[in-house]
Amino acid sequence: MVTKARSINNKGVALALMVTSVILVLMMIFGVMMLLNQGNVVKISPQFFYKIMTIHGTGMIGIAALGGSAIMWYFLSKHIYLNSKVFFANLLFSLIGVVMILIAIFGFNFSDGWTFLFPLPAYSANLYGKLGALLFLFGMLALGIGYLVMYFYLAARLTKEYGGLHKTLGWEHIFGGKKGYGPPPAAVATTMVIITNSIAILAGAYVLVASILNIINPAITIDPMLAKHLTYAFGHIFANCTIYMAVIAVYEVLSKYTERPWKSNKAFLIAWNCSTLFTLMIYTHHLLMDFAVPKWMLIVGQVFSYANGLPVMVVTAYGALMIVFRSAIKWDFASSMMFLAMFGWVAGAVPAIIDSTIVVNHVMHNTKWVPGHFHTYMGMGVIAMIFGFMYYFNKTEGTQKQNSYDKFAIFTYFIFFTGLAGSFLYAGKLSAPRRWAEHLPQWTATDQVGALCGIFIIAASLIFTIRFIAGLKTVGSKSTPDTLKSAS
Amino acid sequence: MYQSIAWYVTLFLVFLLALAFAFVYGESRRLREYGPIQEKGYKIRKFYFLGLLAVMGFASAMSLSKLPYHNQHAAAKEHAKVVEVAGMQYAWEFSDENFTVGEEIQFRVTSKDVTHGFGIYDPELELIAQTQAMPEYTNTLTITFDKPGTYKILCLEYCSVGHHVMMKDIVVKPKGGNGHGH
Repeated sequence: MVTKARSINNKGVALALMVTSVILVLMMIFGVMMLLNQGNVVKISPQFFYKIMTIHGTGMIGIAALGGSAIMWYFLSKHIYLNSKVFFANLLFSLIGVVMILIAIFGFNFSDGWTFLFPLPAYSANLYGKLGALLFLFGMLALGIGYLVMYFYLAARLTKEYGGLHKTLGWEHIFGGKKGYGPPPAAVATTMVIITNSIAILAGAYVLVASILNIINPAITIDPMLAKHLTYAFGHIFANCTIYMAVIAVYEVLSKYTERPWKSNKAFLIAWNCSTLFTLMIYTHHLLMDFAVPKWMLIVGQVFSYANGLPVMVVTAYGALMIVFRSAIKWDFASSMMFLAMFGWVAGAVPAIIDSTIVVNHVMHNTKWVPGHFHTYMGMGVIAMIFGFMYYFNKTEGTQKQNSYDKFAIFTYFIFFTGLAGSFLYAGKLSAPRRWAEHLPQWTATDQVGALCGIFIIAASLIFTIRFIAGLKTVGSKSTPDTLKSAS
Repeated sequence: MYQSIAWYVTLFLVFLLALAFAFVYGESRRLREYGPIQEKGYKIRKFYFLGLLAVMGFASAMSLSKLPYHNQHAAAKEHAKVVEVAGMQYAWEFSDENFTVGEEIQFRVTSKDVTHGFGIYDPELELIAQTQAMPEYTNTLTITFDKPGTYKILCLEYCSVGHHVMMKDIVVKPKGGNGHGH
């Protein structure tokens, strides 16, 4: 029974990873096309540029969330029983959402970006027709509903197994003086994501429904400032949570490869509680240039954005360094990717924290500095964790072995991703605006460097993806001794 | 200035980070018992944590005293020139386009349609100030131009397919006039 459940869970995880990796490569191709256009190397129409910008953003966040949830589901199901139907339901909602979004963009010219700001979709609806905007907004809503269903289910399961989300967040250990370790890191991280991302999705649903109603009946409006708060409460937290799901793989893989425990001690639990609270608070750093927002709220945005760097810098990344230090770890694809991904995460947090400083944001907000920092921690952090996990999955559940292509691909991926992120950050230093279809001549060299790096990143990602899909054939051919602690 | 600080601080800190990861990687092939490593690691972590707190505290104290919001809720000073700015797809509308070096300008920025970003670029094309242009809201951005020349106003919030053409030139004249003004 348990074996069968595990096998179906694995099928879901494998399918999600396959979708993730294939869409990822496609989205990367769109990314390079945008850079080539900004760099004046190829010529595409502005409208097409903004359409692929919209799908690039939506798609990348979508697959980072999907890949992250595959990691979360896989490792959590090692500790507690999970019904794979819920995972498949989320996958189905995601696919329905993606199809609607694709039709909206390529069939009906929707190009308002994934963090569209009210009342932009209504203006676009007047130009290109209501259907495109409505399809996009309903598509996003479908995506959100899928995740919400999954999070509510996980909350119910964790509550049943551990007695409540406060317990999986370790409050008994932090406040109640309970000795020993808290729940498994996978359960702690999942709880953080459930709490923050459910709130994020509800905020997103509010602004999506308001935008939909406004398009259907323009007399129904929402305050644009409130809408922007809700949009970023959704967008910022949802994007952040991709890494909080994916990092579970770092805990599990590095612990297994070093044969050292990575358990939830008090510092670990405090760090995750801080991340829960701070992640909810700091979205206001997206509104630092909205001077009409109360000043205290913007200062909170800066101060807690700094503070939100502490859990990862002091506990998670430091923990990764400590567990690897003099451990005689076996370096292979999975362990290398997890180690490098922790570097990528913190390296991306540095320019992010600097940009959340109000005086810096005043001259760098919405320049390419911003995509510079999030490409660092998404590409070299989240996606690296997902690629590492894809290999780990095939190796653990199947019989995949590492070969020299893998090593070459890892090297290529990280070297050129450093180049890509560097080109974005440098463009930000030069004040080059983000989300511009065409750049002034002063900025095009940075775009060309970025595009060149992007081509090599695509080549490496293609190797990862092909190797993963080819390796899936061996999955299920090996019986593993892992058993569930509970199977209620 | 802040752009350069951001760039070099990022390079420096990421370099330190890379050194730390490279050091641990270099030591990863050796094998020692984990207990003593943890014990020593936690001791070092206390100092590392306090060091980070100190750096963040210092950066906060330094930067929070210079916020660009000071004129948002204050009435216009007598000597300041008030310029009403409205963004619209895909142009900027100014109530006054005469600017002189040394004169304090209060841009009162809003939008007639969707949200735009009001970014002021100096003659060297460096972004020197910005605020959002949001419908139904007015953001007051105060600036004193310190050198003459042609400045550009660029839209810095995605506002649909003409976003990148939403540019406007403004000319800042030298102090005292040079015969071309008024």
